[in-house]
Parts: sequence; C-alpha cells; structure tokens
Amino acid sequence: MAVEQPTRPTIADKIYDKMFHNYLWKSIFRTGYPNTPRNQMLVVATNVFLHLHPTRIHRTHVKITHTYCLGGLSFFMFLGLTITGILLMFYYVPSVDRAYLDIQNIQTNVQFGQLMRNMHRWMAHAMVILVFMHMMRVFYTGAYKPPREFNWVVGVILLVLTFLLSFTGYLLPWDQLAFWAITVGTNIAGSAPVLGPKSRFWLLGGLQVGPDALIRFYTLHVIGLPLLAAIFMAVHFWRIRRDGGLARPL
Amino acid sequence: MATAVVARPVARPQARARDEEVLVWPDLVFVEFISAMVFTLTLFLLAFLINAPLLDQANADVTPNPSKAPWYLLNLQELLLHMNAAMAGVIIPTIWLVILGAFPYFDREQEGQGQWFGTEGAVKITIAAGLVGFVGCWALILWDSGKLAFFMHDWFGISGGDRLRFLADVRSLQTQLPWPDWSKEITYLPFNLKLLSSDAPGGPTQFQHLDFPGWIVEQGVPIAVMVGLPCIMIYTMWRIGWVETRRDALLALFSGFIGAYGVLTLVGTAFRGQGQELVFPWELKVSEGIPGQDAGGH
Repeated sequence: MAVEQPTRPTIADKIYDKMFHNYLWKSIFRTGYPNTPRNQMLVVATNVFLHLHPTRIHRTHVKITHTYCLGGLSFFMFLGLTITGILLMFYYVPSVDRAYLDIQNIQTNVQFGQLMRNMHRWMAHAMVILVFMHMMRVFYTGAYKPPREFNWVVGVILLVLTFLLSFTGYLLPWDQLAFWAITVGTNIAGSAPVLGPKSRFWLLGGLQVGPDALIRFYTLHVIGLPLLAAIFMAVHFWRIRRDGGLARPL
Repeated sequence: MATAVVARPVARPQARARDEEVLVWPDLVFVEFISAMVFTLTLFLLAFLINAPLLDQANADVTPNPSKAPWYLLNLQELLLHMNAAMAGVIIPTIWLVILGAFPYFDREQEGQGQWFGTEGAVKITIAAGLVGFVGCWALILWDSGKLAFFMHDWFGISGGDRLRFLADVRSLQTQLPWPDWSKEITYLPFNLKLLSSDAPGGPTQFQHLDFPGWIVEQGVPIAVMVGLPCIMIYTMWRIGWVETRRDALLALFSGFIGAYGVLTLVGTAFRGQGQELVFPWELKVSEGIPGQDAGGH
C-alpha cells in the first residue's frame, strides 16, 4: 500500500484539513476523508450502512457484467418504495369511502403527488422485474451452489414476498383495475384444495373484496410484509458475507 | 453393491484471494452509486412521462371484460384457462417454488460457480431448453384454444374431419369421444370427504364419483404435459450427450421454465381479449362493463 509522502501544504490542503479534520467531522465519521487506502477501508468498516460490504472485494465482482447490480438495485427499489410509500401514506386513508378520492386528491391537489404515485407504481413494477432477473443471474452464474444453498432458499422466499408486496399494494387505489385484479387474484388463491376458501376468507376478511379486505391489504402492504421482507433481507445480506461473498470460480 | 450412505460434509466458504482484491470504497461504491443514479433518473423520467393508471371507482356490480390479475400473476390466470383451477392457481406454483428452492440441494457440486454459464455446454443447453419452453408453450396454448386446428384448416386446407375432431382442443377429448357412461361416474370414495370445508358439515353420506373424461381434460393431460415434456426434453438431451451433470439438468429445467413462463405471462397480458379469447394484441379491447350485467368472463 502506498504511503503518503509529506509535501508542502497548498491552500487546497489547508481547506481540506479544516473541513475533514475538525472536531465536528471527526465526531460524526471518526475517519478522515476516504482518500487513502487506510481511510477507505475504515470508512466502510465504521459506517453502519457501508459495512454491509466487506472492506475489500475480489476484483471480478466489481465488473458490472458479473451481477448487473440486480440484487443491489432490487434493494434500492425497496428503499425508494419505502420513501415514496411513506409520502403517499400522509394523504391516503384505507377506507372504502375515502381511498379512491384520496388517490384523486393526491394526483390533483398534492404538490408532486402525481409524481410520487407514478414513482411508487413504476418502482414496484421495476422491483418485481429486478428481483426476478436477479434470480436468473444467480442461477446462470451458478451462485446458488454450496455453500450458498440456504441463501438461495431465502432468495426464493424474498421473491414470493416481493410478489405479495406488489399484490397487496394493487388494491389500494380502489378503482376498477384494483378491485377486479384482486378479485381474480384472490379467487386463484381460493381455489386451493382444503385450505383455499379459508385462506381466501382470511385474506379478504369476508367473502368478497370489501372494506375489510382493503384494511387488511393496507396493513399487510405498509407494515406486515415490509417488516417480514426486511427481516429476510437482513438474513440474505448477512449470509452473503458469511458464505464468503459473491461466488467465484474454484 | 452395497454402498454406505455418508453425509457429505457441508461446503465451506472459499479462502479469500487477498492479492486479487480491490477496495470496496471506491471501486464498488462507485459502481453502486452510478447504477442507483441511473435508475433514479430513469424512473423519474418514466414517472414524468407516464401516469399510473386510475380507472373509475371500484364497483362490485360492474365487471370489466376481460378482468385480469396484476401482470405478474397473468401466467397463472393463463394456466387457469387450460386446467383445473386448484391445480393451476395453487398446486403447480407451490410445487414449482419448492422445486426451485430445492435446486442447490439437488445440484451439490461446486463446479461451475461464479461465472456466467460456467460449465461446458451451458449456453447450448440454455438456448435449446429456452426455445423448447417458448415454442412448446405457444404450441400447447394454440392447441387448447383451437387455433391450431383453425390455422391448419384455414391456412393449409388440412382438416381432420369428424374422426379427428377430438384433437381440435383439449376439451374435445372429453366431448368428442364416445366415452361409455360408466366412465363418467366412477365411484372411488364410499363417503363424502370434505376436509376443513367452510360449507355446513354433515348432510347425507354420499359416494364420491369421478368423471374420468373430465379428469383427463382437467388434470390428466395437464399433468402429463407439465411433467412429461420436461422429462422427455432432459432425457433426450442426456441421450445425445448434452446433459451430463445435475447442473446441466437444472439448466435445462430452469431455462425451459423461463421460456414457458415468459410465454404464459405474455399471452395472459397481451393476447387475451374479451371472454379470455385468444386475440392479437392490437385487437385487444377492454369492455368497461355495464352495471348490473355480468360480462361473462371466465
């Protein structure tokens, strides 16, 4: 590793020193600005968000064509959906009387409301596609193979949770598209042998899509399923590290 | 030959190759940042250009025709048109998810990991199996919607006449063959078995009957097709020497699935019009439905 040679400080060096070596900066970030290998490793190791990553990684894994960032982007979509979702929650009340009007209100009266709703919807579609493509990437690069067996299983669970998250959100606008899509979707679930009618009743809180279904889907969509997904994601990310990072040839 | 069953030791993570490593900051963080920015900008652009759909307020009395599930479930809705509802909607997806999850427990070799198509012949198998899934699924959908017979007759002048009418679509196997009466009511359970039914329990004890021709159409043919065709494909690939390892078999199975799944999603989304008729995408129209009138979808 290169060792920095002391040179005469320029005016830029002095400004830099004032900005990144003062008491306040150090109290927040501990390390200096990450422009030396030492600081670059420290910044990853000491930052709660960055320490999802190891400090160093095999050089083939930073090539974009190895992963196309699909897993990371799926997570990024999840974060984006959380942010836009929270903004939408400020204006949306999950009651049959208000839901549809609230969506119209978001689109017409709320500053950037239409944009937030559009973002939320397209990101949701993108997340389903990205998660599926991530699964294909992992399969075709043989990354499910031992010792990553269990993480593949967690991934399959996360795929199902992604579908469920998107499905529960689909009802919330309470328009014809939402209502009939969920009617068709829950009829599919209701056709299951033995447990079908019961699980459909449990999902809808009744025999057809109505007020009880709306509040159930809403609760699952904004807290139940995201929480579950977050737990499985934590396991998923943790296991990547524990199982030796991304797969590479023997 | 007696072989002792020995539990294989669980694979351990590979040793790190430290001299091959680069720093996460900046090398990886930079790539992540750029891809996140590209996606944010693309989605912002998309959100500026295309509004999320919002139709009329939900109304249980007005059924749009066709009524469709969200697009990622339309593959299941497409399956529903061809077979028993419980099988298409729940049993098959559940079994497939279990099979999918069991992949690494079936293929335990570490060979070929960490590289795109890392084993010999992987690209060949993937393309071939993907095509088989794609073409096979299209062919089956066209057969079951009666379009195959229609095309044969209208485009090539080939007609099976009355004798081959039972092959026009899958349902014709039930309706166009001279099934004896007894085959439509085969007693198989001497009591009325209903587990956890939400219907009122009790009622008179009944014999359970099986409508065999109906069963053939609803379950027999679909099971035979979905289990049989992948098996035949993998067996053939094994005989001609393409599939040699479990990894190869999974490559064929998964790629075939991707092909068929893609077709099912595509057909369900873009090729199903009113009454779930098979139409071209440019002929697809949605009737918003008339209050109080069932539009007669499936």
